[in-house]
Amino acid sequence: MSEQVKENFETPPEQKSPTAPVWIFALTLLLLFVGGVYFDRNSGWFDSQVYAPYGSSDNLELYQPKSGLASKLAQGKLAYSTICAACHGDDGMGKPGQFPPLAGSEWVKAASFKRVEEIPQLGLNGSIHVLGQDWNSSMAPMGAGLSDADLAAVLTYIRKSWGNNASEVDDTDVKAMRAALAGHPAIGGEAGLNAIKE
Amino acid sequence: MKTGLRVFLGAFVALGFSWLGFVLGPVLQLGTQGQTTVLNSSQIYPNQRPGAATLGLQVYRANGCAACHTTQIRQDGVVCDVALTSAGSNPSAVNELVASLTLTNLTKPEADLVSGKISAAGGKTETQIVPIGADISRPGWGLRHSVAEDFLWDNPVQLGNVRVGPDLSNVGLRYGETWELAHLYAPASESKTSTMPPFRYLFTLQKIGATPSPDALQLPAGFAPAAGYEVVPTEDAKNLAAYLLSLRADVALHDAPFSTASAPAGGAQKK
Repeated sequence: MSEQVKENFETPPEQKSPTAPVWIFALTLLLLFVGGVYFDRNSGWFDSQVYAPYGSSDNLELYQPKSGLASKLAQGKLAYSTICAACHGDDGMGKPGQFPPLAGSEWVKAASFKRVEEIPQLGLNGSIHVLGQDWNSSMAPMGAGLSDADLAAVLTYIRKSWGNNASEVDDTDVKAMRAALAGHPAIGGEAGLNAIKE
Repeated sequence: MKTGLRVFLGAFVALGFSWLGFVLGPVLQLGTQGQTTVLNSSQIYPNQRPGAATLGLQVYRANGCAACHTTQIRQDGVVCDVALTSAGSNPSAVNELVASLTLTNLTKPEADLVSGKISAAGGKTETQIVPIGADISRPGWGLRHSVAEDFLWDNPVQLGNVRVGPDLSNVGLRYGETWELAHLYAPASESKTSTMPPFRYLFTLQKIGATPSPDALQLPAGFAPAAGYEVVPTEDAKNLAAYLLSLRADVALHDAPFSTASAPAGGAQKK
């Protein structure tokens, strides 16, 4: 074996370090950029409150409905169906001989909402005259636990449903009534109701 | 074992990464999820399901209902509709303006522009937030997409991923208990083309005693048992029906807003 052959065998040719084409790096960077933009647009930054189609909390904020009369009626309807409807009925007709109707009731439709506002707040024990009939039963202060906004919404709902078309009740009205009647005992029937200063 | 450490580290990193993605990530995102309030209201959502419904979830699970039914509503997008609430002091001008404008299928900025124009003319408007999508356009299926809160009290959550039968997210709004029980006993008695198998083992056939049971199902001819017998639901069937009736994700939330004005009266088909 010649020296040359032996040397070639023992020292293999120097190997080039492996290379990757430049376009791979460019593509990776481009994909990272596209991914970043997509993430920025759609992730909502992993906020547990933000889902598609909103993308970001700012966009979600944009689509929060403002509270107008229509949504107030819907809010009132929600509270009415869970609290009031058991006795006064989904149709506002009450139960014959037990609970007076709200539909068409002169107390509900009155120009001033003061009276109908006080009943759910304080409760009513005793006789009340509604639509030509005397109703002698007792109502707990069912509305006392509601927020100002919810009670106002319920009152607005009953004053504007089933053919009633009386004025709207605002949160501030309920708040004022609550402040004025704080600590007042349950109302003793129609006489007690009329005894409260308007 | 020269490579032992390398194998261990490799396995550790692989499992650690999936733990980060499948456990830590979701817990950080939704682990503190609690009750919230209904939009523009002080009502709490969601309330704990009634006791029978909580038991009913386990019946739902045991019978594999989630194999054919989903409880998740998808939403493709959201649009705004502008509604005229008052025409103001110059109604003819406002009405003319309104007739010349597009009032539906708007984005929020477009809706703001339109209501700005109308209020400049003296009218009053209200912007309705309307979710849209294939699921939502099906009557009674839902008003908005499902959100994490809807499943707060469920363990395990029965999302389902195949819709052989309809989605059940709002089935409590669509039907009443009588319907649910009759449908579980004999699906075809309530919907002719139903491919759902009857779950008769959730019911008992018994001889009518001195007085008929108040629970007995009222079944149409062809499904009713022989004369002198009655079909009564077991506790499991009642619990399952209670769970189905408790499925109603119909309130607007901060993370799934919609204008409550469009909310339905609550189940047109209910009986």
